[in-house]
Amino acid sequence: MASFTVVKKEDLDAELEKGPKCVLRGQTSDLGCLTRQDGSVSLSQGDTTSIAVVYGPAEVRINKEKIDRATVEVIYRPKIGLPRPNHRKQERIMRNTLEAAIAANLHPRSSISVVIQETEDLGSNLSCSINSACLALLDAAVSMNFMVASVTVAIKENSDMILDPTKRDETEAKSVLTYVFDSVNYQILTIVSCGKFSRSEHKKGLTLAREAAKSVFQFYRESMSKKLLMSE
Amino acid sequence: MAEQFKMAQPKEYFKKFLENDIRPDNRELGEFRPTVLNIGCVSTAEGSALVKLGNTTVMCGVKAEVAQPDADKPKDGFLVPNVELSALCSPSFRPGPPGEQAQVLSQNMADLLQTSKCINLEDLCICPGKLVWVLHIDLVCLDYDGNVMDACTLALISALKNTSLPAVTVDEDTGDIKTDPTSLSNLPVSCCPVSTSFIIFDHNVLLVDPTNEEERLATGAVTVVVEGENLVSIYKPGGSALTDDQIETCIDRAVERSREASKLIKETLYSIDR
Amino acid sequence: MPTDTRRLTGPESSQSPYNFAPATKLDLSNLESRPDGRKAHQLRPLFLRTDVISQARGSSYIEMNETKAICAVYGPREVLRREDFSLKGQLTCEFKFTTFSCKKRRQHQQDSQEKDLSVHVLEALEPAVCLHKYPKSQINIFITVLQHDGSAQEEQAILKSTVKPAEASVGCVTVAFLPSLSQVSAISSDGDLSFESLNKTMQACVTDCQRLYPVLEHALVKHQQDTEAANR
Repeated sequence: MASFTVVKKEDLDAELEKGPKCVLRGQTSDLGCLTRQDGSVSLSQGDTTSIAVVYGPAEVRINKEKIDRATVEVIYRPKIGLPRPNHRKQERIMRNTLEAAIAANLHPRSSISVVIQETEDLGSNLSCSINSACLALLDAAVSMNFMVASVTVAIKENSDMILDPTKRDETEAKSVLTYVFDSVNYQILTIVSCGKFSRSEHKKGLTLAREAAKSVFQFYRESMSKKLLMSE
Repeated sequence: MAEQFKMAQPKEYFKKFLENDIRPDNRELGEFRPTVLNIGCVSTAEGSALVKLGNTTVMCGVKAEVAQPDADKPKDGFLVPNVELSALCSPSFRPGPPGEQAQVLSQNMADLLQTSKCINLEDLCICPGKLVWVLHIDLVCLDYDGNVMDACTLALISALKNTSLPAVTVDEDTGDIKTDPTSLSNLPVSCCPVSTSFIIFDHNVLLVDPTNEEERLATGAVTVVVEGENLVSIYKPGGSALTDDQIETCIDRAVERSREASKLIKETLYSIDR
Repeated sequence: MPTDTRRLTGPESSQSPYNFAPATKLDLSNLESRPDGRKAHQLRPLFLRTDVISQARGSSYIEMNETKAICAVYGPREVLRREDFSLKGQLTCEFKFTTFSCKKRRQHQQDSQEKDLSVHVLEALEPAVCLHKYPKSQINIFITVLQHDGSAQEEQAILKSTVKPAEASVGCVTVAFLPSLSQVSAISSDGDLSFESLNKTMQACVTDCQRLYPVLEHALVKHQQDTEAANR
């Protein structure tokens, strides 16, 4: 484990020398990586990786049943230890985001549950989790109103923006903003911030993230078509 | 008749009001409920405040204890905020450990303290590497009628501004700790973040300071925390999508509210000092 | 000790700074004047208000100098875990001190003293509430002490249109008295007491209860008048 971290640090340093980053880190996905679930994906954004699985629409526990739509559940599993209040906050953000995306009214009295396992957090973890959840929902062929794409922007002390920051960028930045957009009008579904920032920085970050979100949607499309081609 | 209509068709009932740009409780869409602030109401706590936002009532008490600091941060004290949504405040909560909502609120308070840096953790140092202050900040909701987030933030900041700590000294040689309860000093609070919450009704109408009923009908929520002209946090956890302009409107209103609330805190603190 | 994963936790061990302060001793030798200037048999001034919690069916706030408590009553509502059918309603009581209510910080979980007090209040109120009118349902009483000063414990739940019980305490004898029936519903005593002095204290408590009753009555009547005036 220790040697692993050392290698990563060198990688980060090498990456840092390349200058300011205004592109997303490389994304790779493995759709249907698990077999027992209705949908599953392992998504890497740079070195940040998470696994998301979807069960549903399935039977719902009677006390959670909603008569006019499906109950969306999100469970977030941290890499180490039990979920803490900060993970609960993440769960709630993801659940509210996915609730808007999933066409829940098509499946009344049923449950759609998404489980996200954090496997490696090396920056932009929330974005990676949300994107993997969206891909898993696509893999499970759950009906959706629109897709969602999440992008994280870090703002440095000198107001420079870093898209899709690494862990080191995040700790050095004065604030980190995570945005989620829908795939229809690219409107804002979710904003989560950490650290102080000004209004103009928010505006700049928003435009930057929106552009980047389009490439995430493109990535979804490629991943899905690759999977469909394979199954043919 | 109105009661029955409200019960059967709560959303339609609401829409009828919104058509005239007014809410059922006679407020305009961007209007806060009357805010009442009572600072220093609990003498057993080191700092305390009671906030009433319409019916919503939150009490905050700061209890100070001493502990050993973490080895890697020998000068930093600890801030431990916790929000309690007890079964007392609303029929929808059951007795037992805190539910998801209370946990998220606690985490929001912790994030707020961390990002606004209103308290310098090094100010909580008594003796580097040996002894630091631990501030247990407990927020108890006494009446849950919506927008607990804003009430909690206001109570938290007011209580911190009211906090005074007794003089504690550590003997260099023997390591003995001594407390002088008669000499109290105020805790320095560098800034005053104010949060403003909105709900999204019917996917595009923004209502500020929602009541419990309004929160139940909401299709989304936004909370903006500002400190002076700077943004401390924008928190929009999913829900209906908003345009950039709508977010800007929220920020505008939040800046305005921050002025009002800071003034209220200042005036209340001034009135108890006299 | 297992850590609480649902709350934010500070360092593992911490203690009150007042543990290191020179001890102060309460002087009880002079019975004619107590530290706060009261006589031995004098009650503290009482402030009472009803209907303070908008969401509750009934609620009250009580302040006796430095002791402040708030109480809410919910119900009658469905019994969640329906074990056995009963024609009589259930009454539950949860007594809680806020963590900042005492000189020494209290824990979030209910401790033995709080459980003990819950039972005491429950026992005092049970004879007063017409439980036979609420079959298959439960009535919940929640009491939270916001600030606690001295050994006294005085609570009342104001249940609209039911018998109003009052509880007053002097020293270490606590008596709950039903004024309209002229009966004592609960009594608890702690410590070493002779029969004679117990009798004497009880008499004193009952007299005090009878003096408290009109205050409660007045508070309720006033609230009723206020709401009627508001409705008109």
